[in-house]
Amino acid sequence: MIATALRIAARDLRGGLRGFRVFLACLTLGVAAIAAVGSVRQAVQTGLAEEGAVILGGDAEMTFTFRMADDAEAAWMREVAEAVSETVDFRSMAVAEVAGETVRGLTQVRGIDARYPLYGSVGLDPAIPLDEALGTADRPGAVMHPTLIAQMGLEIGDTVRFGAQDFELRAALTHEPDMAGGNFGPGPRTLVRLDALDGAGLLAPGTLFNSQYRLALPRGTDLAALEAEAEARFAEAGMRWKDARNAAPSLGRFVERIGAFLVLVGLAGLAVGGVGISAAVRSYLTGKTETIATLKTLGAERRTLFTVYFLQIGAMTVIGLVLGLILGAILPLGLAPLIAGALPIPADFGVHPGPLLEAALYGALTALIFTLWPLARVEHVRAAALYREGSGLGHGWPRWPFLLTIAGLVAGLVGLSAWLSGVPRLALWSAAAIAAALVILSLAALLVRVAARRLARSRLVRGRSAVRLALGAIGAPGSEATSTILSLGLGLSVLAAVGQIDTNLRAAISQDLPEVAPAYFFVDIQPDQIGPFLDAMQTDPDVTRVESAPLLRGVITRINGQPAAEVAGEHWVIRGDRGLTYQAEAPPAREITAGTWWAEDYTGPPQMAFAAEEAQEIGIGLGDTVTVTVLGRQITATIAALREVDFSNAGIGFIMTLSPDALQGAPHTHIATVYAPAEVEGRILRTVAALGSNITAISVRDAIDQVSRALSGIAAATSWGAAATLLTGFMVLIGAAAAGERARAYEAAVLKTLGASRVRILSSFALRAALLGVAAGLVAVAAGGLAGWAVTHFVMETDFAFHLASALAIVAGGALATLLAGLAFALRPLAQRPAKTLRNGN
Amino acid sequence: MTDPILSLRDVSLSLDGNAGRIDILHGITLAVGAGETVGLVGPSGSGKSSLLMLLGGLERATGGAVRVLGQDLTALSEDALARFRRDNMGVVFQSFHLIPTMTALENVATPLELAGRRDAFDRAEEELAAMGLEGRMRHYPGQLSGGEQQRVALARAAAPRPRILLADEPTGNLDETNGRAIMDLLFDLRDRHGATLVMVTHAPDLAARCDRVIGLRDGRLDAARRDAAE
Repeated sequence: MIATALRIAARDLRGGLRGFRVFLACLTLGVAAIAAVGSVRQAVQTGLAEEGAVILGGDAEMTFTFRMADDAEAAWMREVAEAVSETVDFRSMAVAEVAGETVRGLTQVRGIDARYPLYGSVGLDPAIPLDEALGTADRPGAVMHPTLIAQMGLEIGDTVRFGAQDFELRAALTHEPDMAGGNFGPGPRTLVRLDALDGAGLLAPGTLFNSQYRLALPRGTDLAALEAEAEARFAEAGMRWKDARNAAPSLGRFVERIGAFLVLVGLAGLAVGGVGISAAVRSYLTGKTETIATLKTLGAERRTLFTVYFLQIGAMTVIGLVLGLILGAILPLGLAPLIAGALPIPADFGVHPGPLLEAALYGALTALIFTLWPLARVEHVRAAALYREGSGLGHGWPRWPFLLTIAGLVAGLVGLSAWLSGVPRLALWSAAAIAAALVILSLAALLVRVAARRLARSRLVRGRSAVRLALGAIGAPGSEATSTILSLGLGLSVLAAVGQIDTNLRAAISQDLPEVAPAYFFVDIQPDQIGPFLDAMQTDPDVTRVESAPLLRGVITRINGQPAAEVAGEHWVIRGDRGLTYQAEAPPAREITAGTWWAEDYTGPPQMAFAAEEAQEIGIGLGDTVTVTVLGRQITATIAALREVDFSNAGIGFIMTLSPDALQGAPHTHIATVYAPAEVEGRILRTVAALGSNITAISVRDAIDQVSRALSGIAAATSWGAAATLLTGFMVLIGAAAAGERARAYEAAVLKTLGASRVRILSSFALRAALLGVAAGLVAVAAGGLAGWAVTHFVMETDFAFHLASALAIVAGGALATLLAGLAFALRPLAQRPAKTLRNGN
Repeated sequence: MTDPILSLRDVSLSLDGNAGRIDILHGITLAVGAGETVGLVGPSGSGKSSLLMLLGGLERATGGAVRVLGQDLTALSEDALARFRRDNMGVVFQSFHLIPTMTALENVATPLELAGRRDAFDRAEEELAAMGLEGRMRHYPGQLSGGEQQRVALARAAAPRPRILLADEPTGNLDETNGRAIMDLLFDLRDRHGATLVMVTHAPDLAARCDRVIGLRDGRLDAARRDAAE
């Protein structure tokens, strides 16, 4: 049977591939987009894996917070490693005199030893040796990131002061080999020699700094075993371990997440393409009705007929997949220089089979899902179609085995995307959202058709023949309404949702926050400086509010005596070190959601107030114990109170507040927030600088700008994804318009025969296209607005406001797209002579 | 008459259209014997083609019984009907209904292939040669004249040696000369293979060549010719 079906299928394909152009375009585009995104993600991940040691700056890294390694730790490192490089990393203010004025710049300083970097090399401009650049012959040297040099208006040779120590700026730092290893800070980088910092007074006890030890290990070292040994020995002392197996976890996670997200957007594109694929197959099979009926008359069974067309469409699917994969593999290679330039790490661009296989699987499943439904209708074609017109594929539901298979394939596709994306929740939500959008759009299309049919018959449009014709065409059986609204609507919905989320988020950041956010954060205020600092701020008439708190940093190592990771899993609170404070007096009663605050003179065993929301997420509560490692010392405190902490207003907020007696003895600094109008910020900065050069100021406005820029990047990536979806939608639209060309030619011929002018016919065609576009746009705005509200309300937990401008742009875009596609395929029918068209029939 | 090869008892046919349900045939009872040639005549819309399609299992009766070669067609599934046609019937249409993407030879070979015949192409060549189309075997339908297309359709219907030939106005789309040639071939086929032939026609001279003529009017057997029905 297969052999016969194969022969008949091959013969039948001689009719050409014309009906498959939209099919191939949709499948190729969708598969190419997913393959390209996956290939770039793989290139970055391979780059991360292969260059792990360079990115990390060593085969392994041990980090300590607020302290250097003690003797035992240093001895162990020397024992296991062939070489050890010691660095410290901290925030500081660079101060310089430029043209008679004092300029300040926030920078992330790294003090390095002579062995740095163990792997890779530092890039300097001018290209002098690093030793020469940082040498201490006359006075110590420093190299700074070009951004900071430009920002402060410095020249090579200028003097820059950190704390109490002067440095000579000797070069611009153009490349830092281990920059991507998660060593980011709020300011641009400065490199100095570690021993040159001794006299600066910047690494005083309690100052916020990290010390990092990079290890060059013998070849063949078992990293996992070594990590386990280090963790066992030093984790309780607050040591954090990283090694070349996962050199840049944050970046790796980010690339994986954004890659997964874009693949999901690509799947939405494939879903839109699926609408086009389905329409193309339906249209192709409708054209084959006579052949199918003839074969039935000659004795072909349903199974044979299904196999004939399944094989044909299968062959087309393979062609579409291959084209998509070629395009998806070539595109990242072509754009490699551009993408590589934007990445902070070396990416390994090449043909990666994994992502291509993933894209092929998605493409094949999507093609199957969307072709099975029309294919199943082949068996609805009756042999009687040969002598009776109008018996096409019909509109009935396929038989249950087909429905079951389609449902199984959909479940397979969703399951596969949940598994392969690595973000199963997001994948499932996306699948639900796409399904919901398709259902909403289908219902909307039905509604539009019914409304158009009713309106076309109403008195309102009598005498307005162009409008009546347009409405009649939209409402008629076989109209383009459904495919237009489905194809364009889904792409526009994604774009509308992105637009609403983006504008709401920006509004939340740029409008709401500054009203309540402080102007500056000041950190590293020494205990003897906090008094004068508060006096200066409180007496300044322009300062509306000042808050301060003691600040220490610590790592949660145990919860109720169990290792923290076993209780809290991957929760962010236990990842890395967190700020913590101590406080005697109770906060306002409304902030305490459970338990009671300790007495102001409490001196018993350590007690703790934990942030209520995070406590609930981790699954801890009153009476539980939390062990925090602070400066190598372990403090176990019992949770006495749960406290509402608002992190959204950029004020001071701590996950953990301890009873004073537990921490007061530990070396620590203070953190302060100052609320003041923008115009006096400069003066406040100078006042604080006069109190001590070690105090670091962080402008909240600059930080917000940084966040806004990051958000813009994500919004842009999402918009590109939505644009790919829209492009597929536009293909489907063109396909629908092209498929309707013959019907429009017939309609134009009849109308011309009845005396309609070409302008009138064209305006009717244009009106119907624009009306459909507006309908698709309106539905998209409603669906996208709903999605935008859901994300804003439930995920970002901010207020949602509907933004009209973005919505109107979507509606106008929808109308324009359909108008262009509609008109492009209306001109030829209009130009044809009626006699020829009518002779050939419809 | 010997045992009828085709028999209809009180058959009716109604179809659902856009304008509602339309009754096409009412209470048709007739029988056709083996080897007989029957002409179905009547005005347009009288239900001739529908009756022929019922006999071929291409349409399903809404009432009554349709028996062909002793088999109740109303009890067969779509696939069983297809197999039944493949093994026992050849159908010729007014509009030829050749598959446009297949050559004349492939069109004729297709029913034989569907029946699993290994000699499908040899038989198809013989059949086309018998129709005088030796030089047209590799041509596509679009490259053939109307008369040639209908001869290919005849060859396709005859190739599996069916016991029943059904023809729906086989000369309706042809000029007089071609029409006569096709009819000669059709009757020749019937004579050569001894098949039963049921034919819808408007042409009185064609009807006159049949053993029996059955008339239809408004979906019922024409009273004037009722005596000829059984």
